[in-house]
Amino acid sequence: MAQSEYEIDLGNLMAFDPHRQFPSTSSSREELVKEAIEQGTKLVQAVADALFNLPSTEDRDGPIVKLPAPSTKLPREKPLPKPRPPTNWELFAQKKGIQKHKKDKLAFDEQTGTWKRRHGYDRVNDDKDIPIIEAKMTDEPGTDPFAERRKEKKGRVDKQERNRLQNLKQAAKVGALPSHVQLAATALPITGTQAMPRKVSKDELQNVAGMASTATASGGKFDKKLPGEKPPKHEKKYRKFLPAAEGSGMGALEKQQTEKVLNKLISKNSHNVLNVEKAVNMYNVKKDKKRKNNEGKPSTRSKLKPNKKSLKKSSKRVSSNKGK
Amino acid sequence: MRPLDEKETTLVFDKLYKLVGNNLQKIVMENPSYEGPDPNPGRYCFRLQKNRVYYVSESLVKRATNIKREKLVAMGTQIGKFTKGDKFHLTIQGLNLLAANAKHKVWLKPTSEMSFLYGNSVLKGGVGRITENIQVNDGVVVYSMADVPLGFGVAAKSTQDCRKMDPNGIVVHHHADIGEYLRMEDEL
Repeated sequence: MAQSEYEIDLGNLMAFDPHRQFPSTSSSREELVKEAIEQGTKLVQAVADALFNLPSTEDRDGPIVKLPAPSTKLPREKPLPKPRPPTNWELFAQKKGIQKHKKDKLAFDEQTGTWKRRHGYDRVNDDKDIPIIEAKMTDEPGTDPFAERRKEKKGRVDKQERNRLQNLKQAAKVGALPSHVQLAATALPITGTQAMPRKVSKDELQNVAGMASTATASGGKFDKKLPGEKPPKHEKKYRKFLPAAEGSGMGALEKQQTEKVLNKLISKNSHNVLNVEKAVNMYNVKKDKKRKNNEGKPSTRSKLKPNKKSLKKSSKRVSSNKGK
Repeated sequence: MRPLDEKETTLVFDKLYKLVGNNLQKIVMENPSYEGPDPNPGRYCFRLQKNRVYYVSESLVKRATNIKREKLVAMGTQIGKFTKGDKFHLTIQGLNLLAANAKHKVWLKPTSEMSFLYGNSVLKGGVGRITENIQVNDGVVVYSMADVPLGFGVAAKSTQDCRKMDPNGIVVHHHADIGEYLRMEDEL
């Protein structure tokens, strides 16, 4: 790379090496990667050098450099605009050979005999300036000619508006709406082509605004609120409950849940079912009764037999060790 | 109105178990209800309205779903309510249900009935009879000598200790009594 004259496009922060030859590829992938990184570093170094050669202004955070306009021609982002179909008037004018002539801003007003502007305030041929309208033979008595004039003008204006919209519709059918009209396309009642885009309702907007405001890393908790912004309508999560009356009142889900809880509870307290003390007491009482019965019988049977009462303390009470 | 979720069900069943013991199974699952038009007995379930828990039969629940949530005041028997801190307390309206399934009972002498109905705890001197094997902090249903349930509470002493106590010691801490229907009519 002796001729290291890279083409540097600072507007796009790009460096391009037109003399690069691609030798036969090395066998391993690691070598390829290493070579690519090497070349890349050289190019980036060239960009950095060019950047630092630009005149810089000092700022709080460091030197600031204004990048020049990009020199690389990038391909079009959007397709070429389609040509508009000619309007009815254009077709007619073409046929008749009518040329367009540029009109002057000022025109001579016959009524007042002065030069007035063609359109707008104080214009030529304004209806206000006509003091007298002579009656024609065709005029009915009782009709107001001034009102007639106004009505006619309104009719002409409306017709023109309809034609304009019709031309736009024709253009939109082909897809060649002028760019300034595209954004206001919702106002065009375009029938027959596609469904009119619906107006977003207040609820929808609120929903979307709520979603957008919480679509940050901390769920929108720490963002500063704009002046006039109201707190969100439903801040917490929506909880889901079992249905109140599923089918026959206590549906399967609810039964499952209650059973689960009940079993847990019962198993937790299962050690309480057997009352050890009570069982022990009952056992001791029974034992005492049995002993009493047994002792009663042998003493009446024979007076000759020696008293076989053992002298040891025989009253062995079962001691209960209730592990608490 | 909605059914209880799992946490709430555990709380309710815990409180009920303390008073009723293993009869809880009977209350929750096997209590037949002859309430509706259906000839087969239905079952009972628990529902939450506002923060009160009701013990209702299923057929009644189905019909109660036709009422607007704001307009529904109560249904079935109220057994308790959830406090602001999500704790569950049993209320006096569930006394019939509890008394029918109680595990531990205390009968009061006629002289101390009024004291209990005014909200005081039960002293040893007022106890007529007491079931065996009451441990401390067991749920206890309080009856009069004529077997009329008067209310319920929590045992302060076990049965053994109760025998040896002096007559002015507290045996049962008062939780609810039927006098509340008159004293605390608004708060029920």
